[in-house]
Amino acid sequence: MELVFLLICGGMAVISSLLVIFARSTLHSALWMVLSFFMVAIIYVLLHAEFLAMLQVIVYAGAIMMFVVYAIMMLNLRQERDAKVSVRVSKVVGVAALVVLFLELLLVGLGHSLTAMQGPITDSLVATHGRVAVISNFLFADYLLPFEVVSILLTAGVVGAVVLAKRVK
Amino acid sequence: MLEFMTILIIKTLVAFTVSLLIVAYSTWIERKVLGHVQLRHGPTRVGFHGLMQPIADGIKGFFKEELVPDNADKPLFLIAPIISIFASVTLVVLIPFGDTVTIMGREITLYLTDLDVGMLLILGISTIGSYGGIIGGWSSGNKYGVIGGLRGTAQMISYELPLALAVIAVVMVSGSLSLIDIVNSQTGLWNIVKQPFAFVLFIICGLAELNRTPFDMPEAEAELACGFNVEYSSMKFALFFMAEYCHMFVFSALVTTLFLGGWHGPFVDGPHWFFLKTFMMIFFCVWERSTFPRLRYDQVMSFGWKILLPCGLINILLTGLWMLVFNI
Repeated sequence: MELVFLLICGGMAVISSLLVIFARSTLHSALWMVLSFFMVAIIYVLLHAEFLAMLQVIVYAGAIMMFVVYAIMMLNLRQERDAKVSVRVSKVVGVAALVVLFLELLLVGLGHSLTAMQGPITDSLVATHGRVAVISNFLFADYLLPFEVVSILLTAGVVGAVVLAKRVK
Repeated sequence: MLEFMTILIIKTLVAFTVSLLIVAYSTWIERKVLGHVQLRHGPTRVGFHGLMQPIADGIKGFFKEELVPDNADKPLFLIAPIISIFASVTLVVLIPFGDTVTIMGREITLYLTDLDVGMLLILGISTIGSYGGIIGGWSSGNKYGVIGGLRGTAQMISYELPLALAVIAVVMVSGSLSLIDIVNSQTGLWNIVKQPFAFVLFIICGLAELNRTPFDMPEAEAELACGFNVEYSSMKFALFFMAEYCHMFVFSALVTTLFLGGWHGPFVDGPHWFFLKTFMMIFFCVWERSTFPRLRYDQVMSFGWKILLPCGLINILLTGLWMLVFNI
C-alpha cells in the first residue's frame, strides 16, 4: 500500500519537476513546481516525517511559491520570451551537469547499501513524547548553536536583499 | 477492522453532511442578517422566511449556462475552483466537534483525526486553497481578474505571517500543536483570557484570509467588478462561493477551538457548545461585514506589515517572558 503511494507520488513529483522546465508559460512552470513540492511533502508523510511535510507545504508550496507567483503576475510574464542565453552553451553545460549528477548517483548507489542511517529520533521516543516535542527538544537543546547561526545567516540575507533593492533605486 | 472502518465511514459522512449543511445555511444567514441590518427583509420567497433559498440557488447553479472565455487559459480555468473547494472541504476533517461519546456501548470520538501537527496542516492547506482564487483570476484572461488575483497573493503573503504568529502564541500556552490537546488545555480557563491579544490578531488576520469585507481586496465590487471570479458562471462560480463560506465555517470553528474553549462550557460539556460558539462567530463575520467599509489597498498592506506583524512578534515575546517568570 505504502509502496503504491510512494510510486504514484514519486512519479508525479518527477513528472511535475520535468514539466517545470518544459512548460512554455512561466506561470505554468511555477504551478508545476507547487505540485512537485506538494508531492515531495506526501513522500515525507509516507516516511513518517509529518512535521517536515507540514513545513514543506507551508514554507515551500505556500510562502515561497506564493512569492514567485506574485512576482510573475506583477511582471506580467504572460508571453514566453525568446531566451537570451545562447542555446549551444546551455546545451553543453546542461549535458555536462547531467552526466556529473548521474555519475554521482551511480557512485552512491553502487558504493553503499541504500539503507537509511539511524538518527537520534527513534520510534520509541516518538511514541512516548510525540513527534513535534522530540524534534523541538533536539532543535532547541542539542542543536541550538547551529539553529541560531542559521537564523542569523537568514536575517543577514534578508537585510542584504533590502540593501541591494534600495541601491537600484 | 470492519467495525472500525464502518464507524470511520459513518463519522466522515456525518461530519461532511453537517458541515456542508452549515455552509449552505451560512449563505442564508449572511443574506438574512445583511438584509435586516440594512432594513430589508432578505430572501423571503422560497420556503418559510426563505429557508429553502440555498437549495434553490444550488439547483439554479447547476442549470445555468457555463461560459469559458475565449482567451482563458482553459485547464487552469477549470482547475481553479476545484483547488478552492478541495482545500476548504479538506479542512473539515481536522475540526474537533466534541469529545468522546458512548453510542450503543462503543466509545466514539466526535472528531475525525487527531494529528500531532493538526494546526500546521490547517495553515498549510488553507495556503494551498488560496492558489484557487489566484489561478482563477490569472487564467480568466480578464484584467480585473488578474488584478484581483494579484491583490489576493499580496494579501495572502502579508496576513499569513501575523496569523501564524497568533497561532504560535496559543501553541506556547497550550503546549501542543494538536487541536484536541489545545481544547483539553482550556478546561476551566479559555485561551481568550490568557491570550486576548492573539485573539484579536487572529480574528483580524483570519478575516483577511477569508477575503471578507474590510479586507475584500481580491473581489472589491466597486473597483474590480467582482475581481478574481469575474469570468466564472454557473456551478464554477458556485464552487468558489461555497469554498468561501466553507472557509468561513472552518475559521469560526478554529476561533472556537483555539480561543473559546471548543466543546467546553458551563453545565454540560459537549458539541452543542461547539456549535453555539461557531454560529456566534459566523454571525460575527456577517455583522462586521455590514458594519465596516472596505479599506484602501495600500492601507491593507501597510496595516499588515507595519502594525500587525510587530504586534504579533511582541505578543510572542511577552508570552515567553510571562511563561519564564511564572515558570509555566
